[in-house]
Amino acid sequence: MGDKALVQGTLDMLILKTLTRGVMHGYAIVEFIQQSSDEVLRVEEGALYPALHRLELRGLLASEWGVSENNRRAKFYKLTAAGRKQLAEESASWNRLSGAVARVMQTA
Amino acid sequence: MNFEILHGLRLRLRALLWRGRLDRDLQDEIEFHLNERAARSGLSPEEARRRFGNTTVMKERTRDMWTIRWIETLMQDLRYAARTLRKSPGFTIVAVLTLALGIGADTAIFSVVDSVLLRPLPYAEPSRLVELWGNVKRVKVERRGASYPDFVDWRAQSHSFEGMAVLDNTVATLTGVEEPERVAGEVVSQAYFDLLGVRPAVGRVFRPEEDAVPQRDAVVMLSDGLWKRRFGGDRQVAGRTLQIGERDYTIVGVMPEWFRGVSDQAQLWMPAMMGGTAADLAERGTRSFPVLARLRPGVTAAQAQAELDGIAQRLQAAYPLTNEGRAVEVAPLDRELLGDLRQPLIVLLCAVGLVLLIACTNVASLMLARSEARQREIAMRIALGAGRARVLAQLFTESCVIALAGAAGGLALAHWGARLLVTASPVTFPSFIHPGVDLRVALFCTLIACAAGIALGVAPAVQMRNANLAEAFKQASSHAVDRRDGRRFRGALVVAEVAFAMLLLTGAGLLIRSVGQLAAIRPGYDPSHLLTLRIGLPRPTDAREVQGRVARIPGVVAVSLGSDVPLDGGGASFYAAEGQPPVTAQNRPRVYPHRVSPDFFRTLRIPFLAGRPFTEGEVHDGVSVVIVSESLAKRFWPGQDPIGKRIKIGSLISKTPWMTIVGVVNELKYRGLPNNPTTDPDMFVPIAGPVRNPALLIRTSVPPASMAPAVRRVLREADATTVIYGVRTLEELMARETANSRFTGWLMGIFAGSALLLAVIGIYGVMSYTVARRTREIGIRMALGAGRGQVLRMVAGNGMSLIAGGLAIGAVLAFALARLIDTLLYNVTPGDPIAFVAAAGVMALVALAACLAPAARATRIAPASALRNE
Repeated sequence: MGDKALVQGTLDMLILKTLTRGVMHGYAIVEFIQQSSDEVLRVEEGALYPALHRLELRGLLASEWGVSENNRRAKFYKLTAAGRKQLAEESASWNRLSGAVARVMQTA
Repeated sequence: MNFEILHGLRLRLRALLWRGRLDRDLQDEIEFHLNERAARSGLSPEEARRRFGNTTVMKERTRDMWTIRWIETLMQDLRYAARTLRKSPGFTIVAVLTLALGIGADTAIFSVVDSVLLRPLPYAEPSRLVELWGNVKRVKVERRGASYPDFVDWRAQSHSFEGMAVLDNTVATLTGVEEPERVAGEVVSQAYFDLLGVRPAVGRVFRPEEDAVPQRDAVVMLSDGLWKRRFGGDRQVAGRTLQIGERDYTIVGVMPEWFRGVSDQAQLWMPAMMGGTAADLAERGTRSFPVLARLRPGVTAAQAQAELDGIAQRLQAAYPLTNEGRAVEVAPLDRELLGDLRQPLIVLLCAVGLVLLIACTNVASLMLARSEARQREIAMRIALGAGRARVLAQLFTESCVIALAGAAGGLALAHWGARLLVTASPVTFPSFIHPGVDLRVALFCTLIACAAGIALGVAPAVQMRNANLAEAFKQASSHAVDRRDGRRFRGALVVAEVAFAMLLLTGAGLLIRSVGQLAAIRPGYDPSHLLTLRIGLPRPTDAREVQGRVARIPGVVAVSLGSDVPLDGGGASFYAAEGQPPVTAQNRPRVYPHRVSPDFFRTLRIPFLAGRPFTEGEVHDGVSVVIVSESLAKRFWPGQDPIGKRIKIGSLISKTPWMTIVGVVNELKYRGLPNNPTTDPDMFVPIAGPVRNPALLIRTSVPPASMAPAVRRVLREADATTVIYGVRTLEELMARETANSRFTGWLMGIFAGSALLLAVIGIYGVMSYTVARRTREIGIRMALGAGRGQVLRMVAGNGMSLIAGGLAIGAVLAFALARLIDTLLYNVTPGDPIAFVAAAGVMALVALAACLAPAARATRIAPASALRNE
């Protein structure tokens, strides 16, 4: 599980992408990434929160305190306009990169 | 990108303000995550926590992200500095107070400099305002002013100016009320208010047609003060009348509260056309007023001067009789109004800067001693992994805290000081000068504080520079040795302090010597016990009756009537001497005539060189007699007896009567101190016939000011409508003449005194510290047989050579800089040996005392206890 540690840039992109689904707290983000990658990608929790705060400070995310499904105080994150723009740029370049890697892997 | 930075900064600042909340939120967020994990995956809370990883590190990382690094560091350093400073209150109080004094004095003087020299005059575009003075070349160039025809020609023929206005001072008697009063006013052209850019607060200014025909339009503008006093601030005052002398003037407007005219004393304004009769205004040779003018944009004063030079030439050719040798001087208005204060203020600013330097030096040596004592602590912190830069930053923060605390104290001091300076000063500052602590002054104060903070930080930095850890530990544990570079630095501080203090003391010595010389001036009359005043009588009256009444007041020794009062103005006339050789316009003899009663010379105690005073008979018989001052007699009758010679006002062909010289008196400083403004002689003629505004000169046997109420009462009893004004003692009038010098001299004295005090404290501190550091060494020496004398010589000798060095440097500096205050000195040369020797003597004595006291203490060290001391 620890062998698929995510590099920072990728984690940022995944967080942004995840949040396109709506407002979420940190735990939900971890769960979503794990589930939707069929448990392949495991988000290291110690890295998640610094990443969230970094994105918030850059203005890509906004946060607010709210109440979770089980009535606990939780910090919810949501994508800002700047975050959406950033995500678009990053996913475009990711697609280019992964496509290129895939092509190399097929031809070689 | 910009958005990101701004957004981040905003969030970080918010986090800074709510530091506690950031930590709490982070904790909550993690807590929530762990609970969630435990609840959903069935892990035990411990297991969930273990899987999460190191929460402390994570929190640190996140918190770092949220904070602004340097602010955090700064706050840490500030807290640490506050703690350490609180722990040594003695040091902190002395350091802060010393700096507060230095910075406060500096800021107070700066605020005055700022308001006097750096701020523009309160008029519209004041840099383009100039005064035009007619002047004449005689022995030297003398200022005279303009006549009305000259003014009209300057205005008509020049192109350099947007406008020109007559600017004459007057004193008006307000009558038609119970208590008549005399008020200062200005007689001005209609353009005057526009030139200054001042609008009336009520009503309007003069119309051009109201300043067109002599004596036709009696209109007047009031100052705010006069309006409120006389008309109760009636906003419908325009159209009401004010009786001035025998004439009713129609009030047309009221000026704003701050405005008192260029003379800064005016309470009312009259059109130039009311300033004289048609004949007066047509007289080209009677010159009495300056002209206010505004340069066109882009025209320099020099260009205007060149143009007026040409015009003056043309006028000379056209009117040789009145205009020969006459030129025009263009003088910037700010120089005219404030120029006298310029040099004294700059000198004072420099002086007070030196005081601050000495204060900083003192605090620096304190800091140095402290940082030496803290070697061990600092070494420990470095050993524990603090970077040198970090430790240095901490020490700088500490000195900045001290400097800023000093600045805060200084600001408070300056706030009071500047006001006190202006109100208590013998110099009269213009009413629009309001020095005080405003943004600029506060900025200045902060700037010096920062400079001081950095300068002070140098001391510990020098200590730090080659602080070797191991050595520091060793040294800190044994106080046996006084470190060499520390000692050298302290030595340099002592030398600098002594040099600066010596420089200031010499400057103060020169200026105070000059004040002494001014006080010792013998004006040619005896100014003590003299009360002077002027009276305005309702109608021309023979004032001898009034004189007699005053003379009968107990305490009055003698009373004299006169047309004027010493040191309080008066005009000059040309005269001619019987049988004189022909004269040109340049050396045409000119004299200041004064009309006086026979008792005048007795009242003022003016000795006669030849001849005698007037007799009572000469006052009435229409006999033309005159008493002249010495230089008049010497000019025309050198080596001869001038008694019986004759002179007349005007020229040889004038219709004025010949006057026979019956007496000769000393040259009198009758028109100005330390010297008369011109070298022209004075002459005295009997005051005859009815007068309206005589001066009374009263010699008293008691302090003269105390007689004023009795004199007023007697005068009022004689005639209730008498206006009494200008009540002053002659000594007050003399003091006014020398006010600038005294202002500079005494302030300089205060600064030099503070410098001396600070230097003494500094020297004493350094010497005491040295002795304390060398206690063990001295103990060893004494144990090995050194005598007390030897110890004293060793300790004091070092201090003395530092003091001698400082004295020498200070004296050389003073000698070089004294020339800069040459123009502020009267009868004292910049190299005045008395001032130098006195300054060096005082400095040396006091410094030696400060140095010997700790040295003497060193000789009383008991060897055994010194060695046990560790």
